[in-house]
Amino acid sequence: MSMAELRTTADLWDELLETDGSPRAASSELVQQLKGLGLAELQQRQDLAELDIVGMGITFTVYSDGRGIDRAWPFDVVPRIIGADEWRLIEQGLAQRLRAINMFIDDVYHEQRVIGDGIFPAELLAHSVNFRKECVGANPKFGVWAHISGSDLVRDGDGTMYVLEDNLRVPSGVSYMLENRAISKRAFADLFAKQSILPVDAYTDELNRMLTSIAPDGVTEPTIAVLTPGIFNSAYFEHSFLAQRIGAALVEGIDLVVGDDDCVYMRTIDGLERVHVIYRRVDDLFIDPEVFREDSTLGVPGLMRAWRGGNVAIANAPGAGVADDKVVYAWVPDLIRYYLQEEPMLPNVPTYRCVYDDERRYVIEHIDELVIKPANGSGGYGLLIGNLASRTELDEAIGRIEADPRNWVAQPTLSLSTVPTLCDGALEPRHVDLRPFILSGATSYVSAGGLTRVALRKGSLIVNSSQGGGSKDTWIVEA
Amino acid sequence: MLLSRVADNLYWGARYMERAEDTARVVRSFTDLILDLPLGVASSWEPLLAVAGSRQEYDAGHARVQESDIVRFLVADPSNGGSVVSSVAAARENLRTTREVLPREAWQAVNDLYLFTSRDTESGVDRRSRARYLGRVMTDCQRLDGVISGVMRRDQAYELWRLGQMVERADMTTRVLGVRAATLLSATESTDDHDEVQWMGVLKSVTAMQMYQRSQRGPIEGTSVVRFLLFDKTFPRSVAGCVQRMRSALSRLPRAPDTLPAVDQMEALLATLPAQSDDGVALDAAMDRVQAALADLNTRVYETFVSGTA
Repeated sequence: MSMAELRTTADLWDELLETDGSPRAASSELVQQLKGLGLAELQQRQDLAELDIVGMGITFTVYSDGRGIDRAWPFDVVPRIIGADEWRLIEQGLAQRLRAINMFIDDVYHEQRVIGDGIFPAELLAHSVNFRKECVGANPKFGVWAHISGSDLVRDGDGTMYVLEDNLRVPSGVSYMLENRAISKRAFADLFAKQSILPVDAYTDELNRMLTSIAPDGVTEPTIAVLTPGIFNSAYFEHSFLAQRIGAALVEGIDLVVGDDDCVYMRTIDGLERVHVIYRRVDDLFIDPEVFREDSTLGVPGLMRAWRGGNVAIANAPGAGVADDKVVYAWVPDLIRYYLQEEPMLPNVPTYRCVYDDERRYVIEHIDELVIKPANGSGGYGLLIGNLASRTELDEAIGRIEADPRNWVAQPTLSLSTVPTLCDGALEPRHVDLRPFILSGATSYVSAGGLTRVALRKGSLIVNSSQGGGSKDTWIVEA
Repeated sequence: MLLSRVADNLYWGARYMERAEDTARVVRSFTDLILDLPLGVASSWEPLLAVAGSRQEYDAGHARVQESDIVRFLVADPSNGGSVVSSVAAARENLRTTREVLPREAWQAVNDLYLFTSRDTESGVDRRSRARYLGRVMTDCQRLDGVISGVMRRDQAYELWRLGQMVERADMTTRVLGVRAATLLSATESTDDHDEVQWMGVLKSVTAMQMYQRSQRGPIEGTSVVRFLLFDKTFPRSVAGCVQRMRSALSRLPRAPDTLPAVDQMEALLATLPAQSDDGVALDAAMDRVQAALADLNTRVYETFVSGTA
């Protein structure tokens, strides 16, 4: 039986191992077990985990030839570990970030003090594709717009954890965080018994509490619905999972109707029943064909009227996406200082904004060292990694930037940290990121860890499951 | 609170699962029966198509009527909407959209069965592995039933599930009666020595053999088999038993006054059937009428709970 050999890559930070190959404090138990197990046994645990995933029907949908195909969720059995002390700081940093972001959103839909005070450039807001003029003056409860967010964190070679982006529209992945834990508890039951690993299951209860708290005034036991685009959406599994866990109805646009009283109702076998809170998993451009895209069949005519009238709460609030923008991202540290008079606890990745001539010139001159990102994209589409791209690809990217500078930002290539990952029967270091989930209502809550995504191909930095990425369980360990 | 769309999916999910189980059982018991009959006794596979109610669909795609083609059509053919693999796949699709109202283990049971049935469909056709394949289908369907009765609240979702299950089950029992029993009754004059085996086949195709024996004294006898399968309310697969459970499900669902008349009609129909059901032709015609009444009920359920046009 071959022993599991654990390797790191020179100049990269490994989440489990020090550069000399010895375990980090929080991962010593795991590393010791991995070494003792041997590869055959580890592979067996991996195979069992994959069987569980297929049997439990944990899937995501990929699109090919215009057709959605249900794929088993990709999972690597070796977990990623973060020490509890470090985690508490990250948690506070994320909560701080979301406080400022929510104040920013509320501000841009009201007085726009942030512009008046010269902190945020007016022209950027004027050109923002996610600013919804239909939301100006709306007053969601507690002034919170981004109730559910997922911020992507990456760790550079020196061990610094950076916020890479904030997903405020319809961030997905939390169900996989919970399912990964269920699978991982089976694979490493002994380690869970032996050490203190923070449980993740509280998330759905906190979600329920938060959604209940934003119900229209006077409603203490609201009827909550999760609004999904339907079974062909790539995250349908998650929509259904969350509805199940919080006891909400899983609805599609066709199930809802707005009455003459501007209240939202769902069509049930008892007739129409009032809905008080909608956790929408539909992009806001599609939620109300009366106000936004007329051709949308996913939405509910009149929903915006009901929301503005305070008869229904929508999470995330329509318009919250204005802060989910890689341009606004570049200002978040300034926003934290402006709204909270605090220093940001979690750093941003340095970001060049192509809308500014000098920054754009720098990007074009150094394009082969940078990662180029569309300002409004998700799922990794349109992303270009300079040092891996051909000259032709780089020139095409420059053309795209010059045609529409506001829509592009660039960041230095970070050397994403690695975690040993089972690849073709051996443990190989593979790049990871981390998406924790932050709930904001009357108070805020950060998931215990988050979803660790891993790029399964050697050297690759692309972690999206839609493009061949995998996932790991994330353990917050009291060392 | 139950969404109309979800109600529709639950009702049909239950129908598809019941159809998968019933079709598997009919094919297995028929295979057993044919193996028992000595060579020379007419052992046609055609009645199986009639019981499944898919003679026309079969004829459209097949030139010959032979065992392997028929079994493949009923068990493994994805283009036949009523085949076992299609029913399980359809049930799974329906349950995917009802996961939030059914217990999680229910989805897992259906998903497991789907993975099993779609993996090696030919083993459901091959005589050597057929019984095991079909046995697994039945066991998994019963596992699902166990989950539903064991952990589910008796809420609207539960009652709709039961309703769909009972409608489909009654449909199968009436088809077994209308085809197999009716044929046997009509042929009694031939004093075939293998009558008993044939009647046992009828009972086994709706898993009624043991329960029939416990309820009767003496040897198996045609008209008492028919009576048992039609009227014995204590047997959950008898037509009357299914109708009784439809009534109880509909009574607990909203707007019962709109839906129960369809059940009244079915019970009235059953009451007119002669208790001494020994006329094959009359039985066949009567079963057609029960099936028409089931179709009416189906429409009524759709209009009341789903389309809102009732």
